[in-house]
Amino acid sequence: MTLRVGLVSFAHVHAAGYAALLREWPGVSLLALDPDADTAPAGELRGAAMAESLGVELAGSAEEFWARRPDAVVVCTENARHRPWVEAAAHAGAAVLCEKPLATTLADAEALVAACDAAGVLLMTAYPVGFHPAFASLTRSVRAGAIGTVIAATGTNNGGAPIDHRSWFGDAALAGGGALMDHVVHLADLLDVVVPAPAVQVYARTNRVVHADRVDVETGGLVAITYGDGTHAVLDCSWSVPPGYPAWGGLTLRVEGSRGAVEFDPFGERLAVYSGDERWQDYGPDLDRLMLAEFLDCVRTGRRPRSDGAAGLRTLRIVLAAQRSAELGTTVPVGGS
Amino acid sequence: MGVVGAGGISRVHVDAWHRLGLDVVVFSIDGRAGEVAASVGGRAVDSLDDLLAAVQVVDVCVPTYEHPAVVAAAAAAGRHVVCEKPLAVTHDAAADMISRCAAAGVQLYPGQVVRYFPQNAVAKAAVDAGRIGSPAVLRLTRRGAAPAAPWFADPALSGGVIVDQMIHDIDYARWIAGEVETVWASVAGGDFSSQQVASVVLGHENGTLSQLTGGWGGPDQVFTTSLSLAGSAGLIEHTTRGRDPVQWETVQVDDHRGALLPDADPAFSPYLFELAEFLAAFRGGPTPRVTAADSLAALDVALAATASAARGEAVDVKRFLG
Repeated sequence: MTLRVGLVSFAHVHAAGYAALLREWPGVSLLALDPDADTAPAGELRGAAMAESLGVELAGSAEEFWARRPDAVVVCTENARHRPWVEAAAHAGAAVLCEKPLATTLADAEALVAACDAAGVLLMTAYPVGFHPAFASLTRSVRAGAIGTVIAATGTNNGGAPIDHRSWFGDAALAGGGALMDHVVHLADLLDVVVPAPAVQVYARTNRVVHADRVDVETGGLVAITYGDGTHAVLDCSWSVPPGYPAWGGLTLRVEGSRGAVEFDPFGERLAVYSGDERWQDYGPDLDRLMLAEFLDCVRTGRRPRSDGAAGLRTLRIVLAAQRSAELGTTVPVGGS
Repeated sequence: MGVVGAGGISRVHVDAWHRLGLDVVVFSIDGRAGEVAASVGGRAVDSLDDLLAAVQVVDVCVPTYEHPAVVAAAAAAGRHVVCEKPLAVTHDAAADMISRCAAAGVQLYPGQVVRYFPQNAVAKAAVDAGRIGSPAVLRLTRRGAAPAAPWFADPALSGGVIVDQMIHDIDYARWIAGEVETVWASVAGGDFSSQQVASVVLGHENGTLSQLTGGWGGPDQVFTTSLSLAGSAGLIEHTTRGRDPVQWETVQVDDHRGALLPDADPAFSPYLFELAEFLAAFRGGPTPRVTAADSLAALDVALAATASAARGEAVDVKRFLG
């Protein structure tokens, strides 16, 4: 049976990658919709032009999109515009893969999770990094005691500023913030798997040294998370990768135990290619493909993915606490609902 | 050159002084002075007074808690001083060492050797040349085996992992980004039978943020460091490690190679570069790239970080110092 998959919006920089994969996916028919295309600045490829360049079919209106009765919907709008589309999908009985972060406020995130729960539809948060096969083996070994008890972690998720491709990432109203909102959640989600206790407290500092002339949101950030078992993790979420860097950026996680440590570098499998300039050519697994495979399998089988709506909520709470801490200059408890 | 102490760092320094063409006299209370002196054809003496009478410069390589007494004796004898880091485990003791040396008219330089590691020195020069623009977010890491000498395990004697080990990266962060305004820290583990990890977030007065990670592992912990200096116009990265999707650093209890200090060819060692610069200063040359005041400033931040870890809250460094 062919799965009807809808892609809502080309706003997010990840939408093009998902579209390219889903277009070729066996057993999937893809229909895209780019609802706020005309609010994007001139020069950003959106709407019909983007659909044409991706080779995907574009619905002319929301009515036409929902009339196709999608089985599943991938929501790639601006961060602050996720909620109405996830709620509409839930209302239509379609499973949802929602781009991270789930929302920019706790109220929106809780509402969209509740809508999916009430409708009995699957909600998955788009956290692809955890689908690297090495992360599964790392998790198994850490749980088996390979490094003793987990006591601390450090993580990096740095990149160029996504404002080069989509300017709304620098708009606090649409993005919900800068580097903190964009880059803390991936690492927070990996730690959600590795650390057995919940996050209880956050200390964060931010600055705006990089791209100071281009955006009003924070571009540099360090976030220290304390977990219920005393484990601490410090994450660098900065948009600090300059033009000319051999890749878009990267993500690393080092987990410290009482008897050793393990380091995870999911983009570490790469060639250095010298061809005019130096670029890194990944030869590791395609994490988006692995995440979409999990999503589509969950849609077909009714299985619940690990990075579900609740995981998206837990990680968003950490970001919101980090924003508050950066504002106050003190540690802040990770809020409940 | 008089070297006081005969532990791990003493051997490295004695070798460097010998390479710099100096006659080396060693005094130590642990019975190993003769062996260390003999390795470079130097001689051992039986008392600190005998050493002070025989030398022009004193290199203090005793345990940290003994630094103040030995430095005070060297200053009283009118000898220039090199003192291993940290200068002391309290602000007052370190400040007293500095004022005694100043009053005696002798120079005092700290063993903040990280400024002499080639990757750190070249990275600093690149920052000064504007290659990264304004520093934005720095990350510095330093890991090694826990020191074997038991006094390191007692924070009252060594200052603990932040004061003893991370002070290197605190000094380096200050060198790159200037004075530190706020500090948050956490220390996990904390028991010498298992790995100890220290994490620190610094807020510099100029807005730069620094993330420092240090730690003492088991006897088989590989010595590693890394740096990432991100700025408004560029990025500098270095790591002493390889690159695989997963790298394990587990402790193998049956293998006691030890790795407290990085491997270095003694003829091209940062310790040699460091001591050569100090020696030139003693001989009337320019002020070295690191001073005792720098080391005291790094100690102050390390003490504020240690207090933050104990309190579980960020600390304002100026307010902490009173």
